[in-house]
Amino acid sequence: MTYILRRKSVILLICIFFAGFIGPALMGGHPSDVVGAPFARPVWWNSQLPLSSEYSVGNDGAVIEWKKLPPEIFALNGKITADPGSRVRIIWSTTEGDMLLDTLEGSGIYWINMDGRDMIFKQKLGLPLIGKSTEHLFPSNGRYEIRIEGASETDLILSLPGGRQGLLGTDQRGRDILTLLIYGIRTSLTVGISATLIASLLGLGLGLATGYIGGWFDSAVMRAVDVLLSIPTLPIMMVLAGLWGKGLWQLVLILSIFSWMGTARSVRALVLTVRESPWVEGLRALGAGRGYILWRHLVPEAAPILLANVALGVPGAILAEAGLAFLGLSDPRLISWGRMLHEAHSFGAFTEGAWWLLVPPGLGIVALCLIFMDIGRYLEEKIDPRLGSAKNA
Amino acid sequence: MNRRWFWGRILSSIGVLAAVLVLNFILFRIMPGDAVGTIIDPNFSPEAKDRLRELYGLDKPLLEQFFIYIRQMLTFSFGLSFLSRKPVWDELLSRLPGTLFLMASSMAFSAVIGIWLGIKAALNRGRLAERIVLRAGAITASFPGFFVQLVLIMLLARTFPLFPLRGSVSIPQPTGAVSVTLDYLWHMALPVISLTLMGFGGWALYVRNLMVKALGEDFVLMARARGLSEGRVIYGHAFRTILPPIITILLMSVPGLVSGAVITESVFSLHGVGTFLLEAVSGHDYPSAGASFYMLALITVISNLLADIAYGIADPRVRVGGRDQ
Amino acid sequence: MLDIKDLWVRYNSIGGVTEAVKGVSLCVEKGSFTGLVGESGSGKSTMMMALLGLLPPRTEVRGKILFNGTDILGMSDSAMRDIRWKEIALVPQGAQNSFTPVMKIKSHIMEVLRVHLGMSLDDAETETARLLGEVGLDPGIKERYPHELSGGQKQRASIALALACSPSLLLADEPTTALDVIVQAEILELLSNLRRTKGLSIILVTHDLPLAATVCDRLVVMKDGSIAEIGTPSEIVNEPKHPHTKDLVREMFRQRDKK
Repeated sequence: MTYILRRKSVILLICIFFAGFIGPALMGGHPSDVVGAPFARPVWWNSQLPLSSEYSVGNDGAVIEWKKLPPEIFALNGKITADPGSRVRIIWSTTEGDMLLDTLEGSGIYWINMDGRDMIFKQKLGLPLIGKSTEHLFPSNGRYEIRIEGASETDLILSLPGGRQGLLGTDQRGRDILTLLIYGIRTSLTVGISATLIASLLGLGLGLATGYIGGWFDSAVMRAVDVLLSIPTLPIMMVLAGLWGKGLWQLVLILSIFSWMGTARSVRALVLTVRESPWVEGLRALGAGRGYILWRHLVPEAAPILLANVALGVPGAILAEAGLAFLGLSDPRLISWGRMLHEAHSFGAFTEGAWWLLVPPGLGIVALCLIFMDIGRYLEEKIDPRLGSAKNA
Repeated sequence: MNRRWFWGRILSSIGVLAAVLVLNFILFRIMPGDAVGTIIDPNFSPEAKDRLRELYGLDKPLLEQFFIYIRQMLTFSFGLSFLSRKPVWDELLSRLPGTLFLMASSMAFSAVIGIWLGIKAALNRGRLAERIVLRAGAITASFPGFFVQLVLIMLLARTFPLFPLRGSVSIPQPTGAVSVTLDYLWHMALPVISLTLMGFGGWALYVRNLMVKALGEDFVLMARARGLSEGRVIYGHAFRTILPPIITILLMSVPGLVSGAVITESVFSLHGVGTFLLEAVSGHDYPSAGASFYMLALITVISNLLADIAYGIADPRVRVGGRDQ
Repeated sequence: MLDIKDLWVRYNSIGGVTEAVKGVSLCVEKGSFTGLVGESGSGKSTMMMALLGLLPPRTEVRGKILFNGTDILGMSDSAMRDIRWKEIALVPQGAQNSFTPVMKIKSHIMEVLRVHLGMSLDDAETETARLLGEVGLDPGIKERYPHELSGGQKQRASIALALACSPSLLLADEPTTALDVIVQAEILELLSNLRRTKGLSIILVTHDLPLAATVCDRLVVMKDGSIAEIGTPSEIVNEPKHPHTKDLVREMFRQRDKK
């Protein structure tokens, strides 16, 4: 079995597996945490855009040297303590003059929660209500300063999330795409593998049963296979997802109901040929029971086929899961690649031109599918060496 | 035409349709427990619920419901949509042409391009054409169609705005038959192109494999020995022989085509049965969901039947029957 | 009429190079019935394909094949297409599926009549019925598909198809293998009669020496791509010179004695 570990696709799959199941634990933080501005680009894209930065603002204020395009968001949060009698002024001194952000009076403690995107904030400063306030707060490159006047103790944080954030940028809510992508691995792998496993076991069981029992049972199951193969599966899965709910395990169940047919067919064909073979007839003549023949001879015979079938079936399940999630028929709390594409599609990735919302999950799906296809083909060739040469002949 | 075979195909289509009908009935009435509980808003008063039960015939015994349902399905009287309060059939009818157009045109394009490339690949073994076909066939199977479509929209509708971002028609709609048609074709171009792009690889690979096998057959060598031109040998003999299996793959691709159309319609926000189904499923509009599923299954069954009949015409071994059968 | 001069054929495949025909020279007179006898791999089928210009691509051919004085090997594709079937026709092995399975028998015959002789549809159809009658088949067979015919019928239809354009040379490549003995005899008799009535030259390719000896007027024994011996049937059977021919003849008598 060690030769299989040398296959590149297998090594890659193992890496992805670890990234998906251990990665989340190492990363810390939750994927739904907002870490940056919405639609922030990947850090390696367009270096004109600033990275996110944070400044702690004390009594002396803070000085900022700005050399990039304006940040996406201007947010000031924290606490100011002052003598109730004195008047506190927060001043933003720009290259083109000072702006009075706020005047505070009549209390001992002030909680500051300022966001440049608020309408009230824009109104107060007399900025246009439509458009980014940061373009007016950062009119050009140069020296900026935030000053607090009249405070006895200042404990503020000025955060300036930039247009670049994280290795793969952020989505429409400012969540980190890389984190989402890594959390999505788990969903894709879980759904893909478990749905295919269940479907294959179902197919194995039904294939063995139909091949061995035959008669009306065989024809009934084979009719069902014909029917299921000639119904468009996506619509019926959509209906089922709508009726049964959209949870992870409902999805697995729905997918496995519609993907056992192929396995059942090939196992049945195998059983039919093996059953007629001289050595099984010999066994029967020796008095071996049905169960014995099934378990000792047919199952081992079917196992390698099943293994290849599982590997070749996973891409289909992953694609189907992604399709349903893309249509919005998955649990919104469940992070998956299809869901990411759904959100990108529904929440303005196109108006923003945010390709970084589309490409990582899409390529993730493609990569996983290609990996499983490769493993499946490899297994198939190992089982039946003629296949490999026949395909290229 | 072999009568028995023909009626057998009709009968099996009816069987599939019957199975679809039963499945549809079971899904919507029995599965979720109390039908009224799921179909109708739980916040309604008991009297209102009873009235609605009566309205939808849910107070009758199950068997009677089943017969009523069968009659409704066969006469296409699907009732009123919960969401739009219009007859479901009217809604479906306005969306059916779009879906059929999408399916038919993308299938036609991918089949024609795929068959042409497949033949080219089979004739040029080991050259570039063959390598392209082999790669394309393997790769398109691993690409989710909607991802490719999203990327295409990003590139060809957003970055280079050659095509519209979404929708089946421009708003406001242009006037005049010619401009309406052109506008529609302009909106359908990217969906059809993307489906063709996703579809041709499989066709090409399949046709290439069939053609390679056919070209190695004795009768092709014999046709050459008879002094026939290469065109006659390839199209008149080799290709004619693989026509029946090509029709089989046509038949087998229809369910996938329906699924592809459903996703494509929602990617491009097209006016079609697929978007209607999605809206119905997400909005708990059960009469519409059931009816659209039924329509999509019906499209599949009918195209399967047509493909079966075409197969019979293309392959005399099925049509005439004989000692090899 | 046919003059093969020092023919060499070499197949170049990925597996290596195979010399299939090594310097064969052979003359076939008009109206003769030549038997080309050899075991499989002796190069006899390769020679047939060379005569029709149907050797696979990347095959090296040297020498000359003069047909009525012109060299076939140097011909262009389109000139070669005119020779095929109009001048040289092939009756394939009985076991081969030589007919395109989805076409009726008449479509095959009518196609060559229309392509090579430019016949109209109606004329071609009448001619097809006549040809089928000539080889002893019921003309109604023209409406049938290949899979509806028996082996013997199929072989007769192949002969009718080969005769369609009245060729001067008929190549019969193992025409009787896979047929039962009675049908074999019928087919061979049909071929001999046709040769006499139509003045055809026939080259019968077979591995079966006794069979060839009964119908042919001249035998060519091949071994490993070259000619072992040429002579009349009585010369070959009674006084074989080449050791390989001797083996063949000995084997032939042994088989007969067993019966």
